[in-house]
Amino acid sequence: MIPFRQKAAILLVLSLLLVSPDIGLALSESEVSESLLCFACPGEPLSIDRCGGGDQMPAAISRMLGEGKSKEEILQYFVGEFGEEILTIPPKRGFNLVAYIGPFAVLLLGVAVAFLLIRKWSSAGTHADRGADGTASPPPLGDADRRRVEEALSNFHEED
Amino acid sequence: MVTFGTLSQFAALAFSLLTMACLLLGVMRDDGRWVQAGRRCLVSVAACATLASIALGYLFLSNNFQVEYVASYSDRALPLFYKLTAFWAGQKGSLLFWAWVLSLFSALVVYNNRRDPDSRLTPYVYLVLGGTLSFFLFLLCVVSSPFDLLDFVPKDGQGLNPMLQNPGMVFHPPTLFLGYIGFTVPFAYAIAAMTTGTTDASWIKKTRAWNVLSWIFLTVGIILGGQWAYVELGWGGYWAWDPVENASFIPWLASTAFIHTAIIQERRGIMKVWNMALILLTFLLCIFGTYLVRSGVLQSVHDFGATGLGGYFLAFLAIATIGGVYLLAESYRQFKTPNALESYLSRESTFLFNNVILLALAFATLLGTVFPFLSEAITGNKVTVGQPFFNQVNTPLFLVLIAITGVCPLIGWRKASPENLRKNFLRPALFALAAAVVLFASGIRMSYALLSFTLCAFVAGTILQEFVLAVLSRKAVTGEASWTAAPRLLWRMRRRYGGHLVHLGLVLVVVGITGSSAFKLEAQGTLSKGESLAIGEYELKYENFRKYEKLNRTIYAATLGVFTDGARIGSLDAERRYYVNARQPTTEVSLRSTLKEDLYVTMPGISRNGDITLKVAVNPLLVWIWIGGGLMVLGGILAIIPKRRRETP
Repeated sequence: MIPFRQKAAILLVLSLLLVSPDIGLALSESEVSESLLCFACPGEPLSIDRCGGGDQMPAAISRMLGEGKSKEEILQYFVGEFGEEILTIPPKRGFNLVAYIGPFAVLLLGVAVAFLLIRKWSSAGTHADRGADGTASPPPLGDADRRRVEEALSNFHEED
Repeated sequence: MVTFGTLSQFAALAFSLLTMACLLLGVMRDDGRWVQAGRRCLVSVAACATLASIALGYLFLSNNFQVEYVASYSDRALPLFYKLTAFWAGQKGSLLFWAWVLSLFSALVVYNNRRDPDSRLTPYVYLVLGGTLSFFLFLLCVVSSPFDLLDFVPKDGQGLNPMLQNPGMVFHPPTLFLGYIGFTVPFAYAIAAMTTGTTDASWIKKTRAWNVLSWIFLTVGIILGGQWAYVELGWGGYWAWDPVENASFIPWLASTAFIHTAIIQERRGIMKVWNMALILLTFLLCIFGTYLVRSGVLQSVHDFGATGLGGYFLAFLAIATIGGVYLLAESYRQFKTPNALESYLSRESTFLFNNVILLALAFATLLGTVFPFLSEAITGNKVTVGQPFFNQVNTPLFLVLIAITGVCPLIGWRKASPENLRKNFLRPALFALAAAVVLFASGIRMSYALLSFTLCAFVAGTILQEFVLAVLSRKAVTGEASWTAAPRLLWRMRRRYGGHLVHLGLVLVVVGITGSSAFKLEAQGTLSKGESLAIGEYELKYENFRKYEKLNRTIYAATLGVFTDGARIGSLDAERRYYVNARQPTTEVSLRSTLKEDLYVTMPGISRNGDITLKVAVNPLLVWIWIGGGLMVLGGILAIIPKRRRETP
């Protein structure tokens, strides 16, 4: 019989193995345009452009896609024309890294604080097997008792 | 009627200030008569705000274009329905709507407490409600009144933005506002609990329905907004991480965190300080959301009616933040609960981790939303933070959230045993693994999509298993048949299964988002009559073109035959509309929606010789976003249906 922890680990490894790298698909116009703003409407992504003023940009993207250029090459072309303000995604450098790293730093900090709090609050380690009055926890239930408890619990009105 | 509306507004402001004065005197002198007077003043605010709202509605219906707000958002040709809903199309009307609904909610709180007039909490609750009302009514009376008059009487109004003439947009803003406004009530109770040192969970129990109902309204508002963007904006998506969209999503995340830990306080009497902090945060984010929507401070697709109220909102936010944090610090020792959690493996702990992830998501979204400002203030460079950034940062966080959504409800309170974990999670984990294998075998290779679908299968598996086991258990005890036991169990334990339905709805939403973003197909082409455009398994044939008038617009429509495998399965009308008083034509979306996928067509161009330019997309599984959203709302409603005193088991 494989212990439960090992089963869980095997399941996890198998799941991760299934997650293979993406296979490159043909680049579409919208995949490029979602990274660009409409030059005619400040702040409006080209992908949801409503003014029609940016019509030349999709045409240029289509032309460059036809020439076999990559997304990065096309974006570089527009950065050369209009500056970095034309991008909807800040370049990963300098102060912009705060936006990329900040959320994950907060997540890690939050998880660490949560772990420390639970550790501090819990009686695990020092009082793990002791009740509130400091006495040892009761012995495990037998099968018959367990069935009775489960039946009683099925009637119990648990709200959440 | 203009004078009547203005006077009603001023009367509402006067009553709200009186409410505060009476209640302050009441609590300072410990005199119930002043509290009683304050309560009556609060109800009077509702009456006056209602009269002001009726007045504005009447001005729209009677085409009174001397009123600047009416002239800006209506015209003679506007259909009656949209004339009424133009009420909240701009900033001034939205403010009146805010004040009106909050005054009605306040009156409802007074009514709910009619049998408990001497409660220690209620004077402070009314005081906070009165204070918030005074702020909005002050803005209406002094800064931005919807009853302001023009110096002349225009022959016609400027009309409502054509994009707002959509049923989704009619209900989207008010439902979002209802959500924002609703959270004022639990905020008021939290402030009252901190002020009076009420350390038990009574304020949480009293405000549970308000919390969940406000959350439901926010959810409905967000879903309707997404649906509106999908069918109206014509870019093929439903969520652009626009600042105003984010403004509704951030409080939704914070309130979701609060709803979870409020359960812990109810059940275990712990995490009191944390809950106070969360509801404070939720309320502040709601005010911040209103500020973003109507201040015009950020460039957004929602720039329909923005003027500069930023300073006032920021001042109110500062006062609420400083006051809330001060009270929290003052009452910290009273509310602190030592040695609250017993194990890492307990429902309380998983709820805490769920909170961490939800708040990290809220932080990521908030940071991305305000980053252009931050960047400009610190580096002098105003960068743009758009959809790809949010997708990149938030998607991993979302996947963790989905995983923990499956784990939380099945871990026992206090301390879970390895046996409990094995019993609850082995089958869902195997189910998820089987789903992953099937998906991989069927050709899905995109890592995020595969991981997302697998996690969805895991969560769905945990919910399904839990429900089936509970039904079997009930059958064993009561002897009922499955079809009787299942609905009775669902009804009897509606709070629990309402929550599960919300989670199941979330799973469906994630399935829809994953399918439609990972496997979307797009095509574009210019067609002459009789020509076809192919996309996926569909072929669209340009069959006919016509021009006609309807209500306040001229419509140019191309009829497209839809074919699969050479067989005609239907037709779509792609339209461009020219609205009266609109400067530009609008492109209407034509949609063929099935459970499997949406065929999405827009017509961005019509040439003089009758050729049409089509943009076509196939969005797999997209309809599940709306179905899942509906299920989330249904689950929320189920969870707050109160129990009758004597209810059959």
